[in-house]
Amino acid sequence: MTGPVFVIVELRNGAPVRSSLEALGAGRRLAGPPGTTPVIALLLGSAVESAAAHVAERGADQVLTIVDPRFDSFQAAVWSAAITALAQELGVIAVLLAGTAHGRQLVGRLAARWGAAAVTGIADISISNDGAMLAVRPVFSGRALQEVRVDAPRVVLGLRPNAFPPPEPSGSKAPVLAHATPELGKLPALGHVSGFETAQSASGPDLSEATVIVSGGRGLKGPENFRMLDELAASLGGAVGASRAVTDSGWKPAALQIGQTGRTVSPQLYIAIGISGAIQHLVGMISSRTIVAINSDPGAPIFKVADYGIVGDLFQIVPALTSEVRRVRGS
Amino acid sequence: MELLVLIKPVPDPETRLRPNAAGTDLDTDGVKWVLTGYDESAVEQALLLKEAIPGSKVRAIAFGPAPRTEEILRSALALGCDAATWVEQPKDAAGDPMLAAEALAAACQNVPFDLILSGKQALDDEAGLVGPAVAERLGVADYGPVVDLRWDAAANQFTFARAIEGGLERMVAPPPLVVGLQQAWNDPRTAKLQNVLKARRIAIDKVTWANPPPGVGPAAPGTHVAAFRLPPPRTGAKMIEYKTPEEAAQKLVRLLREEAKTLP
Repeated sequence: MTGPVFVIVELRNGAPVRSSLEALGAGRRLAGPPGTTPVIALLLGSAVESAAAHVAERGADQVLTIVDPRFDSFQAAVWSAAITALAQELGVIAVLLAGTAHGRQLVGRLAARWGAAAVTGIADISISNDGAMLAVRPVFSGRALQEVRVDAPRVVLGLRPNAFPPPEPSGSKAPVLAHATPELGKLPALGHVSGFETAQSASGPDLSEATVIVSGGRGLKGPENFRMLDELAASLGGAVGASRAVTDSGWKPAALQIGQTGRTVSPQLYIAIGISGAIQHLVGMISSRTIVAINSDPGAPIFKVADYGIVGDLFQIVPALTSEVRRVRGS
Repeated sequence: MELLVLIKPVPDPETRLRPNAAGTDLDTDGVKWVLTGYDESAVEQALLLKEAIPGSKVRAIAFGPAPRTEEILRSALALGCDAATWVEQPKDAAGDPMLAAEALAAACQNVPFDLILSGKQALDDEAGLVGPAVAERLGVADYGPVVDLRWDAAANQFTFARAIEGGLERMVAPPPLVVGLQQAWNDPRTAKLQNVLKARRIAIDKVTWANPPPGVGPAAPGTHVAAFRLPPPRTGAKMIEYKTPEEAAQKLVRLLREEAKTLP
């Protein structure tokens, strides 16, 4: 490869989001060991300093900051103009974006502006023997896989959350350089953010970013019993989701529904509790790395897709599981 | 208000997926193509706006091959769209989403619009590239994944929320605009039989897409699907035998730590 790789680092409350750190890991994998193709982390916004220092120890060869309040709110039109200008200036060959809502929104626009190829939802990436990039992406809600070959001088790559490990701190510090805001050209009329409503169960990580999801279904028998799931999720540092039966009954907000008409998630570990496993639900979680099912009905379809199953009374199993997790994790 | 909605035919979600003989794509033999998922939400949202704003018109636009693309445009007309544009994809043309965006942007350029709606992604390839790429080509702002979209006539702007990690980001934006719709916020209507019959008589504007016409977009998409395959079948759960709940918990945690290695 003949030019640097950009990793766009998205910030929330001044800190890099986990998916962006995963993107750094993917960038490192694509670029090869340090000293070969440079991986440049790019941070945009008015308060990027501490995040830049954090990123400098995690897989980047160089950290670029553009300190400009115009980037504090995500505007695809503005971000794609800036990134394109910078990518052209530095001869960048690939831009990696995290699998966040904003990251996903940016891929198509940036690729159109930069004249680049684009691949989204990437779960794995490699370089073939003849030097082409190969990206594996789940499609059809994880029921099939595409292997996409990239033969383009420039490419924008959108990553799937939880697919790449974030780099460990390397012990060395990459240089952090401030760059002036590039010429953005003529921008379209833009909207602006007028407020933020925090999701009801925002104590843990968001469902799309959580490495562990504990999900409850009709078997929980009532909203009050979700407290048990909250405790198990907390012991694992995970998030709580729900089946459609639960959100339709109003036990949990619709935003937590996992399935065809709700969210699609791909955590490392998915624990389905009291969920029978209708196809409607399965398409929303089938790409999870490990699936555990706890259900009183041994014939529940969820056991066909799970890796590990426990048939039994969830009201006994779940508290026991929480205690055991706390014991082994020392929390 | 002039509303455009970009849609795409996708295989019925109940379709049993099979790779084709070359192993490079879905075997489309016998597949039923439908208007569904996020696209259906986008059509519903367009129709809700049309009903709320007097004098509005909704045009559905789709890029794709015969006959499936024409069929889903008929579905959109039956739901209440006023007009339709079919950008025909030649049989041998690449199906890359970035090329689809070029074709759709060219079609949008020829009609007036205040708002372009699409699903945040299609239910089949889940690329999510088309709406934002069209916005860039047309030089207008784009937002997504959008829920709760309304028109504020007094202020001459749209109000909506972006469904992002951790909550909803409330926004206001003036037209013209491109938005990618999140699913499951609205409850899409179904077409009445009489409207299905009426939709058959509406003329669909047809544009043929030279792939791509000179001077527009990249000469080649730069990507192609080298393999399309099904994930290894899940073989069924390893069932944990136990005498007490504590034993079940211990065995599960051990397996997650030592075998699956996915316990944090």
